[in-house]
Amino acid sequence: MGRRVPSLPPGMRSHRQHPGAPVRGDDRTMVSITQTMGKRRPRGRGERTNPWAYLFIAPAVGLYLVFSVWPIFRGIAMAFTDFRFIYPDTRWEFNGFSNFREMWSDEDFWNAVRVTIRFTLYVLPATVILALILAIAISRVTRMAGFYRWMVYLPVILPVAVTYLMFGQLFNTKFGLINMVLRETFSIRRPPRWLDDPDYALRALALTDIWRGVGFPTLLFLIGIYGIGTELYEAASVDGATGWQQFRSITLPLLKPVFALVLLLGLSSTPMVVDPMLILTGGGPRDSTTSLGLYAYQTAFQLGDLRLGYAAAMNLVLGMSSAVVALIVFRSLRGDEGPSGPRRFPWRRAGAESTQTTSA
Amino acid sequence: MVSTPSTIPAASPKPALLPDQQANRPPRWKQFWRSDWYWHLFMIAVLLVTFVPIIWMVSTSLKDRLGFAEDPAGLIPRNPTLINYRYMLTAVENVPIYMRNSFTLAIGTALLQVFVASLAGYAFARMNFRGKNLILTLLIVSVFIPRSGGLMALYELMTFLHLRNSLIGLILLFAANVPVPIFIMRQAFLAIPKEIEEAAILDGASWFRVYRQIALPLALGGMVIVATLAFITAWSDYLVTFTMIDLDSQMTISVGIQKVLSNSYQSALTAPQFRGQLTGETSDAAMLLTATLPVILFYALLQRWFMRGLTEGAVKL
Repeated sequence: MGRRVPSLPPGMRSHRQHPGAPVRGDDRTMVSITQTMGKRRPRGRGERTNPWAYLFIAPAVGLYLVFSVWPIFRGIAMAFTDFRFIYPDTRWEFNGFSNFREMWSDEDFWNAVRVTIRFTLYVLPATVILALILAIAISRVTRMAGFYRWMVYLPVILPVAVTYLMFGQLFNTKFGLINMVLRETFSIRRPPRWLDDPDYALRALALTDIWRGVGFPTLLFLIGIYGIGTELYEAASVDGATGWQQFRSITLPLLKPVFALVLLLGLSSTPMVVDPMLILTGGGPRDSTTSLGLYAYQTAFQLGDLRLGYAAAMNLVLGMSSAVVALIVFRSLRGDEGPSGPRRFPWRRAGAESTQTTSA
Repeated sequence: MVSTPSTIPAASPKPALLPDQQANRPPRWKQFWRSDWYWHLFMIAVLLVTFVPIIWMVSTSLKDRLGFAEDPAGLIPRNPTLINYRYMLTAVENVPIYMRNSFTLAIGTALLQVFVASLAGYAFARMNFRGKNLILTLLIVSVFIPRSGGLMALYELMTFLHLRNSLIGLILLFAANVPVPIFIMRQAFLAIPKEIEEAAILDGASWFRVYRQIALPLALGGMVIVATLAFITAWSDYLVTFTMIDLDSQMTISVGIQKVLSNSYQSALTAPQFRGQLTGETSDAAMLLTATLPVILFYALLQRWFMRGLTEGAVKL
């Protein structure tokens, strides 16, 4: 095939692609950039600084500094103040760690932590498994793969509010589609009251979030599977490996970096969830859906003195702990493929993995 | 999960089939049986189940009161009618304002982001300057820093800048999300052969002119990708818009839709000509679909670019 592919991302062994894979001019992805990050490229000698360049990057970097970088640092600083929005003077009144002490004895905070953990456990494993299954199915298909990719990603781009309100109607106790089907097809006399029932509300929200969120990991897995190429599978099937064996010993291990990325992104975004609760339940019934993100949001923007400081502290705790969990998972997934680890692929050239392992 | 070598043309290591082997090919039904039909079946089943909510929405929005009462769960309306849409366009306040605001926000964000990101992407692709690699690496790493805690700080900042309740402020805010667009634009510029630009520079053209007149037209693909991502992100956002905007005159449809739905009984009272012809469920469905339609259209028209944008490195959307 005369296709020109300039560079291979690490881990990709072959230019031959799955039948349904899109033809791309350049296979470098951000994923591959993060994998090779931190390695020095040789500096070109005699390259002179072009002052125009600073003018060119100024608008972008300026916007970024003001609206993205500043809020990160200000958010951290705010966590150590008792800033209440209706008293602007309290903006810079630092109070040390008293926000965090208050959190420790705040019953609502701990409830919110439990809700957040339950929500993450409902959503994340299901999303990852579903995404993997969908990605495998799409990669096996010769025709219409583009259509499937399009459909799978469609829920992600829908306006958030529309998706959740739509599911709000689906979960409606009386006229929602789900309960109508349960009543008529499965003749369940009293189907659950979903969003009005403390036992079911969080699960209903989790289902909605899975529906909305599965497209993106599917696409990441799909990129990973397309990157594996078809040669390994051909070799394996010549050797008589069954489909399940191929999946176990080719697809899964080679997708490890993608798993790491998917879990990293999922673990750093799912616990922050605010939207479905804010739109559908407002935290109810009986605080059964007050996630930590929502509790912080209400503290900051809807309740009493609008305590931005306390909310920022809660968000800091939330962000730090989910980042720590995400990094632990990321490292443990990326780490055990090291040079001293078990060699799962005898046919792989020695040292072929070195590009992947050093950067984690 | 048997791989299907027969579907791979040319470069396969096996020699092409000889004529007599071709005669020995398995019969049609066997070929079909060995093909990927069960994966198609699986995908279609999954997609049908997944898209039942949307199909139900579409069908509900095409029913009138009677149609919904007779068959609320039906996925195909018996007597399709557009009355819900007529009701929405004539009787429901604010929907046209919200739609206009949404378009302003989404198009403004897309334009500003294309401008800013293409300038910076060009610098990162073609120019040499101190700190180039450092800045690029910092930009990309910062994508992975969780920033939901920044919402409180952002609220303070926008109040301080008097940009709350203003679409301009929101445009700046959304356009400031530059790392992924810069990366995409840089890739687009790197894909262009640099000889023409070098010649132009030698001939004394300014960098800005080279960028405007030579590089930019050739990087149209990257610009479309960036604009698509920006448009859809800005249109679909809820949390940030909800936090920053509480004036009706500046609200977008993605946030205002909730307000419209909860007020829909009130609007029904003010429009007697529709009384008795529709219910809350049917008109709600019509409004939800209307709020979605522009993104779906955009997504459908530009789907090729969009997928390229995602595979080329849009890690966050």
